[in-house]
Amino acid sequence: MALDTVPQPELGQIEGMGGADLVVGLLDAEHKGDAGAACGMVHEAIGRLSTAVRAVVVSNNSTGNPAPTGQPAAGDSQSSSVLYYSLPEPKAAGTPFERLMDAYQVVFAVGGRLGARACCVIRSEPRTLTPQWIWRLVQPVLEMGFDLVAPRYTRLKMEGLLNRSILSPLSRALYGERVQNPMGPDFGLSGKLLDRILGENALKRQGFPIHPVASMVSTTVGGGLQICESSLGTRVQPPTNWADVSSLLAQVLGPVFLDVESNAPSWQRIRGSRPVPGFGALEPASAEGGGVDVSRMLESFQLGTQTLQDVWGLVLPPGTIIELRKLSRLPAEQFRMTDDLWASIVYDFVLGHRLRTISRDHLLRSMTPIYLGWIASYAIELETAGPQDVEIRLEQLSAAYEDRKPYLLSRWRWPDRFNP
Amino acid sequence: MWEQIGQALNQSMVRVLSQLASLLPGILALILALLVSAVVAGVLAAVLRRSLMSVEFDRRLPRWGFPTLAEWSPSKSPTLLVTRAIALIIMLIGFLVGVSAFDVALTSQLVMRLFEYLPNVLAAVVVLVAGTIIARFLARSVLIGAVNMNLQYAPLLSAGVKWLVMVLAVAMALEHLAIGGGIIRMAFAILFGGIVLALALAVGLGSKELVSRSLEREASRTAAQGSREPVSHL
Repeated sequence: MALDTVPQPELGQIEGMGGADLVVGLLDAEHKGDAGAACGMVHEAIGRLSTAVRAVVVSNNSTGNPAPTGQPAAGDSQSSSVLYYSLPEPKAAGTPFERLMDAYQVVFAVGGRLGARACCVIRSEPRTLTPQWIWRLVQPVLEMGFDLVAPRYTRLKMEGLLNRSILSPLSRALYGERVQNPMGPDFGLSGKLLDRILGENALKRQGFPIHPVASMVSTTVGGGLQICESSLGTRVQPPTNWADVSSLLAQVLGPVFLDVESNAPSWQRIRGSRPVPGFGALEPASAEGGGVDVSRMLESFQLGTQTLQDVWGLVLPPGTIIELRKLSRLPAEQFRMTDDLWASIVYDFVLGHRLRTISRDHLLRSMTPIYLGWIASYAIELETAGPQDVEIRLEQLSAAYEDRKPYLLSRWRWPDRFNP
Repeated sequence: MWEQIGQALNQSMVRVLSQLASLLPGILALILALLVSAVVAGVLAAVLRRSLMSVEFDRRLPRWGFPTLAEWSPSKSPTLLVTRAIALIIMLIGFLVGVSAFDVALTSQLVMRLFEYLPNVLAAVVVLVAGTIIARFLARSVLIGAVNMNLQYAPLLSAGVKWLVMVLAVAMALEHLAIGGGIIRMAFAILFGGIVLALALAVGLGSKELVSRSLEREASRTAAQGSREPVSHL
């Protein structure tokens, strides 16, 4: 969804705003934002910038405060001003993830229409949001010339596992930038990057579905733009719904794998990786958070190994399947999925997704038992580890992804030669 | 008397020869039709074989849901099976065209009936192929979904769904072929109804406690895991 789906009166209001230096999108999932508080926070954040900024807050709090659109909603500073705009009611159709992607699109489109120099999108829950978050995402763009500000969060060792096991190391290996949270979900973007995203969306609208969050890093790297990270602190997340991990994998990995496919010419030329500049000190993670019951994950992995071999056999080479079978026979205390094996499996699924060996939804959902196996292995291995050990362990995993990149390149270029 | 016998023989010989002569154009037409159809079949089979080989039909076929077709094929090559089947069908059509050239009422009727029956055969083949694809897709969906729900009987559920759809597809194909008529319909109704009834009885009576215990255990474990562990994915 972009501005063409915004109703005409609201579109007129956006155009009537004239222009803005900064567009801030507040996209909390529960639509419980408070317009006044949001504007106040944005005003406080931009008040710390060295230059005056005209900001527009776009919120999906559709029931919140539609009346003051286009009017100053908070603050009385002579230099900076904040306007508020509420997104229309999201479509009932589609998954929550798809609706969220639509909301991102609208915020970017509003930013493009207003000619914003910077755009900041915050998806995390409002109870963790502070003016500091907004400032840290916006300041490197407006005052230091960066094009993408990715977030860094303080995390316990069992938090952000999909990000730590697949998204971050895959993005690092492919695009050469060590970004901890390539899918944010909180970002700061420059006007240049915004234009590029909107331009690419217009081009890709015919072929690939548009998932701006999944393609944030690849678009930045592809355009030769600058990336940095800002430390935001602790991010509160809703409890994991274990009954629906497969849907989460399908919703998140689908757009990521599509992005890998559409950017193949770009990432095939990239070798190695480099750290990105980071701003702000990250508060140390607590050493607590261990003691995970892995029995159910191991059961799921063993069941998958027994029953999904026909499906996995269409994607994974025989050697990998043998490794998984050996692994499924190990007792819990010896259960370890090696980094090389895991990275190869992820690359095989990326390729299976590209080749459409089986239905893409089936492919991604069938990965669930292996993913749970990786979580079990990670939890067992790091049961007593401290935050430093966790970082070292994740660095090893990312290095394994980089080491195995030639394997992906070979399979990508000559899929038949390696075909299982 | 000998003259009369000679005349009768002459007349019968003339009749037979004239009848044979009248059949000659038909025979020549049959031979010609067979020759033309053989040439067309050969060319078409060659083109088809080359096309199928270029798209690696043999390798892809198991992925499309027909893993056992290679075992039934000559030289274990589904490409050969398909091209030979197409060639045979074209030869058969040529033969039928040739036979109808005899202009004999019986053969014409036979040919007409065979041609009228062809759409039914094609429809049955389409139903079977579509049924196989749908059965495989649904079976895979159920298998993956059940494994992700940690159900130990996932393969059983998947196989059940697959065979239900296959039985339905075969019954529909036989209906199209007009084979069996009411018997097939009745057998299918009894079989299908029986399977559903058996499942209902198994879940409703026989396995009631087992199923409820299993579901309760899964629900409590899921809820407990979600609330106890500090795990997040994104």
